[in-house]
Amino acid sequence: MSQYQFLIRRGLQGLLVVWGVVTLVFLLRFMTPGSPVDFVAPLDASPELRAQIARNLGLDQPIYVQYAQYLGGLIQGDMGYSYIRGRPASGIIVSRIPATLELAVAATVVAIICSIPLGVLSATRRHQPTDYAATTFSLVGISTPNFWLGIMLIMVVSVGLGILPTSRRPIGLIPAIELLIFQFETVGIRAWIAHMILPAVTLGTYFTAMIVRLTRSGMLDQLGQPYVEAARAKGLPETLVTYKHALRNTMIPIITVLGLQLGSLIGGAVITEFVFNWPGLGTLIIDAIRVRDWPIIQGALIVIGIGFVVINIVVDALYARLNPRVSLE
Amino acid sequence: MSGRILSDRVRRSLKREFSRSLMAKIGLFLVVLMVTMATFAPFLAPHDPTQQGLDESNLPPAGVTQTSEEFRMVDGERTTVTVEREGSLEHPLGTDALGRDLFSRVLFGARTSLMVGLFGTLFAVGTGVSVGLTAGYYGGRTDDVLMRFADIMLAFPALVLAIALVGLLGPLTILIPDPFVQLGLVTGMPANFVFPITLTIVVGVVNWVWFARIARGEALSIRQQEYVKAARSLGASDWTILRQHILPNSLTPIIVLATIQVAAIILLESSLSFLGFSGTSLSWGFDIAQGRQYLGTSWWIASMPGLAIVAAVVGINLLGDWLRDALDPGLEGEHGGGM
Repeated sequence: MSQYQFLIRRGLQGLLVVWGVVTLVFLLRFMTPGSPVDFVAPLDASPELRAQIARNLGLDQPIYVQYAQYLGGLIQGDMGYSYIRGRPASGIIVSRIPATLELAVAATVVAIICSIPLGVLSATRRHQPTDYAATTFSLVGISTPNFWLGIMLIMVVSVGLGILPTSRRPIGLIPAIELLIFQFETVGIRAWIAHMILPAVTLGTYFTAMIVRLTRSGMLDQLGQPYVEAARAKGLPETLVTYKHALRNTMIPIITVLGLQLGSLIGGAVITEFVFNWPGLGTLIIDAIRVRDWPIIQGALIVIGIGFVVINIVVDALYARLNPRVSLE
Repeated sequence: MSGRILSDRVRRSLKREFSRSLMAKIGLFLVVLMVTMATFAPFLAPHDPTQQGLDESNLPPAGVTQTSEEFRMVDGERTTVTVEREGSLEHPLGTDALGRDLFSRVLFGARTSLMVGLFGTLFAVGTGVSVGLTAGYYGGRTDDVLMRFADIMLAFPALVLAIALVGLLGPLTILIPDPFVQLGLVTGMPANFVFPITLTIVVGVVNWVWFARIARGEALSIRQQEYVKAARSLGASDWTILRQHILPNSLTPIIVLATIQVAAIILLESSLSFLGFSGTSLSWGFDIAQGRQYLGTSWWIASMPGLAIVAAVVGINLLGDWLRDALDPGLEGEHGGGM
């Protein structure tokens, strides 16, 4: 199967999954106790006013009509109006995406930069202090709830040492870069970095720990293989054997597992955002759940579902490229 | 295989791996410690974990002295006074802002985490294994439908789904009477244990897919084996084959995954409690949320419950590693979600 056929087929499958997600998210509102009107109407609202509100929100229609309307709107990018803010939900949701993406990417970068060298060192110096330190770190890292880690970092670094800010970042990456390019002003990008460090470390630690574990066990596996012996026997320097031969083959299972764990990255981002008051999708969803702002809840969940499906397709494609032994089936 | 869950060979392998590994011993110690804490919390706790005492608020842990500046009314005037608080063994881990004993709260919090961890995992195993075995054994259309549904579940980050479900369905809890208090063995402790039902079901619901995938894979490979064909030709029913042949032979990976899932679910539970979605106030995550407001003055309130979570999850993960190494060297830590 060619790469394009593969992408088209996976795209169609992904579309089916997204449709399932949309349907489930839509049904969620009908499984939830209480009517959305309770949260929108004033406490002393008369039955007439409540009926009027229900009509305005389109809640008086039969469920299949609401479903059809919702699907129809969604195809055009219309997710309804926020019950609380009275603005289109899609606009509110889209404006929150960059902050979440920046956080997730920064955390991934932190994780990859720290973890792979640590995992390789741990495997090549097995049963030495470096190995024990790395193993302990990774065990504690995968066992620490990231919201607690974030709070501890805030307590020690921001409150105790008073160096990094804790919340309410003033500027996003793109405005900061615009400021840098068009006005040669570094204040924006510096503020961005200062606000990014703690959240990225908080979110990235779990992944760092996990990749260290995978890299270590994968490398130990590979270093015992005959081809490594052969590479050594022909006189290649050990660094080259380690990094070029063994590590390359270790990357394949690492990417598989990372793909499986992307859900944890997104879930972790939600909690991390909450801890750092980060203006992303996570805080948006949590706030919207508390006030039952359904168009926002549904829209944000669907956006996360779509994002997740897309990332998974990308990971599959990447996987096939890295490992020619895997056919695109 | 039927009748006995662990064969002699498996038992020997477990023992050998255990005596070889320091990590397995630490893991077992931590888990036993947590189970003891949770079970005997009313005996071990020095105070009622819910009892407030405003004159004892924000006391530091034993051995720590904390000085802070506070406003007081002296002769009708607002003045700043320097208050020195000294921790004592009366409250070994200190107290929170309402004067509740943190050590007692950590002990009782272990109950919530352990109960949700165990029952949530049981729910996930039950659902996942039934679905997976059915899909793998029958194959065809059944398999397609069930596994597409599993794909949709997997298309959603577990934590996000859990937040949405628990947050929207509302925190339903049931009160379970504490047997020790009911029998009059201890007094001055809460008479009931608040068990978060919605939370437990939701953490199971967002995690069953992993078990379904494993069980399906095992069923697919086992149903082709000669002895299953033999059983079928002898006239065994589907149910008998599934129960007596396929289930016992797919237990190993399921047990290993279930152990790791208890850890993942405890982390998930603490996250949801931290957001205030659990419905119980005796939980490690809930206490961390409380302590978050006092980071500058009382560092211990948010720190202590977090350390308890880390210790518990480290213990379970070490136990999971031990089981994996002993039962199936081929398995790597690829499964499991949560954070």
